[in-house]
Amino acid sequence: MVRMEIACFLILVFVAFIYFSAGRKNTALHKTFSALLIAMLFHLVFDAITIYTVNHLETVPTLLNDILHRFFIGTMVLVVYFFYRHISFVVEDETGTQVRFMRFANIFLVIAELGALVLPIHYSVTPLGNYSDGIHAAVIYVSMSVYLLLCVGMLVFHWRRINRKKKFVIAAALIIELCVSFVQAIVPTSLISGMGLTLMTMAFYLTLENPDILMGELVEQKLSMLYLKSQVNPHFLYNTLDTIRIQAELNQDKEVANQLMHLVNFFRLSVKVDRQMVALDDEMELLYAYMELMCYRYPKLKVSYEIDPELGEVLVPNFILQPLVENSLLHGLKNKGYQGELKVIARKYEGQLPAIEVQVIDTGSGFDKETREKIEELLLHYNEKEQKLEGDSIGVLNVQKRIKLLCGKKYGLWYTDNEDCGVTAHMLLRMTKGSGR
Amino acid sequence: MKKLNVLLVDDEIKIREGFKRLFNWEEHGCEVVGEASDGMEAINQIEFLKPDIVIMDINIPIMSGLKVIELSRMKYPSMAFIIVSGYDDFAFCRQALRLQITDYILKPVNFEEFGICIDRLKVALYESGMQSEKGAEEQETRVIISITKHLQEHMEEDISLAYLAEKFHLSAQYISQLFKNEIGVNFLAYLTNLRMEKAKKLLVTTALPITEVAEQVGYSDYRVFTKVFKKVESMTPSQYRRGFMETE
Repeated sequence: MVRMEIACFLILVFVAFIYFSAGRKNTALHKTFSALLIAMLFHLVFDAITIYTVNHLETVPTLLNDILHRFFIGTMVLVVYFFYRHISFVVEDETGTQVRFMRFANIFLVIAELGALVLPIHYSVTPLGNYSDGIHAAVIYVSMSVYLLLCVGMLVFHWRRINRKKKFVIAAALIIELCVSFVQAIVPTSLISGMGLTLMTMAFYLTLENPDILMGELVEQKLSMLYLKSQVNPHFLYNTLDTIRIQAELNQDKEVANQLMHLVNFFRLSVKVDRQMVALDDEMELLYAYMELMCYRYPKLKVSYEIDPELGEVLVPNFILQPLVENSLLHGLKNKGYQGELKVIARKYEGQLPAIEVQVIDTGSGFDKETREKIEELLLHYNEKEQKLEGDSIGVLNVQKRIKLLCGKKYGLWYTDNEDCGVTAHMLLRMTKGSGR
Repeated sequence: MKKLNVLLVDDEIKIREGFKRLFNWEEHGCEVVGEASDGMEAINQIEFLKPDIVIMDINIPIMSGLKVIELSRMKYPSMAFIIVSGYDDFAFCRQALRLQITDYILKPVNFEEFGICIDRLKVALYESGMQSEKGAEEQETRVIISITKHLQEHMEEDISLAYLAEKFHLSAQYISQLFKNEIGVNFLAYLTNLRMEKAKKLLVTTALPITEVAEQVGYSDYRVFTKVFKKVESMTPSQYRRGFMETE
């Protein structure tokens, strides 16, 4: 008989492992499910042990048997309580209203746990097997009835306002648990309560708490935040800046006016995010505006360009240069107090491929061994890396992924060390001409 | 050349203020005679002041700038409009260019380079005046007309004031003065304008490479051409061509 409990336990260990290692939103709902999983694992352990001990009453000391039974019933009440809490959070999420009887459910939990700890235990011995009964065993039947009733009531009361899929999942799980409890009550020797709870946990895990869905929600939430950030009407932004720029000029502050002009230009160019490919001309214009501003902030920065004018019409992935330049500034030249030189070169590639070669050369602090290895690994195995939403190397990874996607596998990004100091970012991009759409 | 009257239309007072005080109108033979902050007021002011040039924001209250131009255009076919807009969108631009003597500049407005725009309008005004003047005989007698005609036909050649002086048996200084008086722009600005207009036409109607376009309008070095074009149009020739392709 213990075999089934061991199987249930192993399945839930596996489920718990996947669940805890996956990313999800940090909400009360998911915390409750985590607690439920842990309580469930403990419960199954005690379930398995008590099934053994209750059938070996003559060899196992009564005290040990009692203690194990108290834990068994105690964890079971807790599991049922967590089920109730979990469902109530789902309902609250769905309907946006507070669930009633929550206080009662909490108080009842305390009473039931006390009962499980102190009430006397009686064991029935039958030819089919032994089981505990009497007032102690009644604790779990009463708790089960109370919480299941609360759940059913909650579900029926809010039936129309809950998402179709969710309410059917909850209803199905409740029906399973009701049937199992009913069978257990009629045939006490069947000892199938652990199976019922495992089934219910699995039902919730597979539907409401599926890690893939949760991860999707998490990403969606972050993306929507990014999206919202970009939703600040760009026209508002640069129109306002432009007005301030004019005022600065009216105040005869030519310096401020010029910097604001660059900023306005930078915003104007960077809101064209709807295109995947842009002309090198456009990309360079954005870079000029960006570098003007950076050089203004850090006067010891020097920048020079060597752009083959014939390449102006070549299409390059949108926003591909600025992240590399920003990396050179923030990871290389920053460490030298923003003192140094940056050079951007774009020319025809000398090799076999029809390509243009772009280089961003800085005289910054260069890579230490660890960073170099990390970057190299990242650029080589770009495909296996998850697209993270934050972090230092997101820029580089993103650039590499976009080159591979938009230009082809033969093209890409790599870094070399300069002879004297700093690094050079090399990009090989496909020579594409034509319309930017 | 008589002074040109200018009407400023923008719903932001700061921008009108900027136009008024940050650009040397005097030097370019213009004078700001009025302001308007919405479409209705603009219509009224145009009616009342009959300005030569209207600087017009598109996105203004009550009635859009484009609508104002459309309405005024019927009544005053030779009035010049300069559209100022933050929507750097060629769809707008094309719509605007259909309404004659209309120029288009993008925000942020660089007041130092705004003179280029005014010069261009003057040339356009001069040319539309030339077309409307029916008396062919009278035209023949005006030296400036023969000079500009010659320029239009030979812009791909290496033309200088000295060359014109020799060709028309006049002093270089006199010709220079003639341009200033009759058109209101100096010789070089006029020639550059002519070349850029032709270049724009070639860029959008042909598939000629940029170097070829440069040569046809009188620039042997296409890098110089690109630089000048960029200054006048605030975009490179290839950007200009692409912009037109994309909106089609």
